[in-house]
Amino acid sequence: MSAVPATTDRTAARLRQAARNPVVIASLIAIALVVVGQLVSPGFGSYNQIISMLRIASFLGIIAIGQTIVILSGGDGIDLSVGKVATLGAIIGARVMDGTDANLAGGILIPLVVGAAIGLVNGLGIVYLRIPPFVMTLGMLGVVQGIILAYTGGTAAGRAAPFLTELVNTRWLLGAPGVLFLWVLLIVVVTLVLRRTRPGWNLYAVGSNRTAARLSGIRVNATVIGAYVASGVCAVLAGLALLGYTESVFLNLADDYTLPSIAAVVIGGTLIAGGVGGYLGSAIGAVVLSVLQSLLTTLNMPESHRTIVNGVILLALLALYGRQRKLRS
Amino acid sequence: MSLLTMTGVSKRYGGVRALDGASFELEAGEVHGLLGPNGSGKSTLNKVLAGTVNPDAATIVLDGRPVEIRGPRDAAARGIAAVYQQLSLVDSMTVGQNLVLGVEPSRAGFVSNRASAAEIDAVLERMRRGLGPGVTAGTEVSGLSPGQQQLVEIAKAVLRKPRILILDEATASLHRDQVNLVFEIVRELTAAGTCVVFTSHRLEEVRTICDRATILRTGRTVATVTVAETTESELVRVMVGDVAQPERRTATPSTDEVVLRVRNLSAPGVHGIDLDVHRGEILGLGGLQGQGQSELLLALFGATATPSGEIDVNGRRVTNSSVVRATGNGFALVPGDRGSQGLFMQRSIQENLSIVSLRRRLLAALGISMRKERTVAEDAVQRLRIKIGGLDDPVTTLSGGNAQKIVIAKWLLNEPAVVLLDDPTKGVDISAKAEIYSIIRELSSAGVAVILNSSDDVELAELCDRVVVLYEGRVRTHLVGDEITSENLVSAALLIGEGDQGTVEEQPAAADGGAR
Ligand SMILES: Nc1ncnc2c1ncn2[C@@H]1O[C@H](COP(=O)(O)OP(=O)(O)OP(=O)(O)O)[C@@H](O)[C@H]1O
Ligand SMILES: [Mg+2]
Repeated sequence: MSAVPATTDRTAARLRQAARNPVVIASLIAIALVVVGQLVSPGFGSYNQIISMLRIASFLGIIAIGQTIVILSGGDGIDLSVGKVATLGAIIGARVMDGTDANLAGGILIPLVVGAAIGLVNGLGIVYLRIPPFVMTLGMLGVVQGIILAYTGGTAAGRAAPFLTELVNTRWLLGAPGVLFLWVLLIVVVTLVLRRTRPGWNLYAVGSNRTAARLSGIRVNATVIGAYVASGVCAVLAGLALLGYTESVFLNLADDYTLPSIAAVVIGGTLIAGGVGGYLGSAIGAVVLSVLQSLLTTLNMPESHRTIVNGVILLALLALYGRQRKLRS
Repeated sequence: MSLLTMTGVSKRYGGVRALDGASFELEAGEVHGLLGPNGSGKSTLNKVLAGTVNPDAATIVLDGRPVEIRGPRDAAARGIAAVYQQLSLVDSMTVGQNLVLGVEPSRAGFVSNRASAAEIDAVLERMRRGLGPGVTAGTEVSGLSPGQQQLVEIAKAVLRKPRILILDEATASLHRDQVNLVFEIVRELTAAGTCVVFTSHRLEEVRTICDRATILRTGRTVATVTVAETTESELVRVMVGDVAQPERRTATPSTDEVVLRVRNLSAPGVHGIDLDVHRGEILGLGGLQGQGQSELLLALFGATATPSGEIDVNGRRVTNSSVVRATGNGFALVPGDRGSQGLFMQRSIQENLSIVSLRRRLLAALGISMRKERTVAEDAVQRLRIKIGGLDDPVTTLSGGNAQKIVIAKWLLNEPAVVLLDDPTKGVDISAKAEIYSIIRELSSAGVAVILNSSDDVELAELCDRVVVLYEGRVRTHLVGDEITSENLVSAALLIGEGDQGTVEEQPAAADGGAR
């Protein structure tokens, strides 16, 4: 019984752990979806097609950065305003840029500041007025909608700067557009910030146990507020990328990204209760959702069925993760 | 015939063998001690018996018949009830709701074995002496101290009228008089034929209550002894081999130099506290638990709302208006409940150790050097002899005592000037306790002001140069030097309770510190 050498013990344990790692599972699912797509519709798995699916995934992926951070911060953290904030960011950006590169800097900075401000208000309301994040950010969604209507008067004007369009739509290195490289850079940076900086470690601590975090001398309130500010900023960043993609804006440009952003985080294995998880998983979650979306479109599935399939897959994954967490003890 | 035997119990977590063929055997009507150092597998064995851990292998014979315990319900159906090391009450529910939580109505569907309201009141009344007058079935659990919660947990198990009652360090956060109450209840149960499995790191308790004891070491049963026929040092030797017994405090050459001076400190639960901690001195907080000791430490640490009063460290006035500021001023607090206040359970041991002192090792907020963090954490693990699998494992994988050591270690890494300890050796085994005692003494002789609250009188007597006894949030009595004995501590705490003060000197702490 005790004859098993400790090293094989360890390797086996590590293998088993890898097989249960949500990031690994999500990656396998993404690959499986591509394979299935290639089988039912040859060409689905071609290089160009994959690049184009990744490009679409990048918008969701960038929104999911903020969502990941907010969910990690715990205390039932969630940001339901991200879709609308992204839309607002694109609308302001389009107006300021007005189709010329000369206004590019302002067209990026001004929306980012607005996004940060919205996140700040979310954070302040949640921390100091003790409004539950769900309610606060849902309320904010309404407020931002109002701001959009007031700001545009019902019709969006302006256009993306050519540079932005090029960043998103023109193939650059290895046949991939610049926005993909930007996303990869963001994945690396966000992961490093979470894993190798004090604010990152504080975020995990706060998400895992707020009382203990406070008693460890961590600025809990500042950390939580910071998380919502980050979410606002990331949402705007995604909105701007989307603006580059569509060149002109619609009043509901990114509205539908809110729920998928939460789904991406969950698929990526971040604990909805906070304190455990990371961004790489969410990024892969975003890829899974985007590939799934194109697959269902390829299959000519009607919208209603697509929504159902989406939902079922999400529930199945959640059940799988939940079971494993139980198995572990 | 014995009531229950367990043999060949093995359980592995990844590469860690929590149990490696352990065995033990229980008789009806006995109190059976389950002893061993931190991480030796006591809790795991208890959990196997209570059905909350699935063993890799085990043979269990109950009433002469081999059985399999498939889960907590299965265990409950066989008359096994357990009180675990970690508090497990639901905070947002009342005491009464918690007491019936998880008790299934019987199969027939008509007769419920849920405790009736009358039974609940009776058991709370039985516990009255330990719970204090205010606690009823309608009291919300979140307002109770760890000690009170522990008593409610015990009440919950007792309500199920078990044949085998497991108490896994259920007395660790209890004060002596509460422990005595639990012992009375245990004796009533055993007189009626119940078998009690009792785990504690306080040998004195084991010697008082246990008939026999089984000793575990690294997941194996090393001996079963009859307690009355075994001396204390023999017990210790079987448990941990030869260790230096924690010696009693040697009179430290205390100076007139005041390291920590507190005047007129008031906060929720404490009123007008004056304290002086001299260089090289350890100040104890005594009295019945729940008389403001924890609140005093929290107030000093800036963790309670609006404390008022003056705090000076080495002659410098400090304002601890928040924990962040207190930490910046060199304060450290090892809080009373490690699970809810001290640890980030799902996070790694590494992060838990690093989190407080991280800023000291960074230039900007950026760029944590994992190599540096590892070295620091490994040193701490070695220094406190913490038994861990790996630094990246989550804290949930640690045994109770080892988890407690993590909380102490994370603060030591911050090199504090004032250390506030709220029951720091709760659940820590004797050799580690000796280790922690020597660390506390080292700190104090290095000029760190140490204030220690302890539910264990022996600990206060062993460590402290001076003890202030609290009652209803006020300092009522000082015990100095040789006056600090278990007997004096108990009588000081109780005399005050009866309103019979004035028997012991009642002067401000400042007056006697240097006079010895
Ligand atoms: N869920 C778990 N995952 C991984 N390892 C675990 C887990 N639970 C316990 N262990 C390990 O098993 C060993 C035995 O733990 P156990 O809790 O039974 O010790 P114990 O004798 O109760 O110690 P203590 O006196 O400190 O409470 C320890 O080394 C511990 O780290
Ligand atoms: Mg234990």
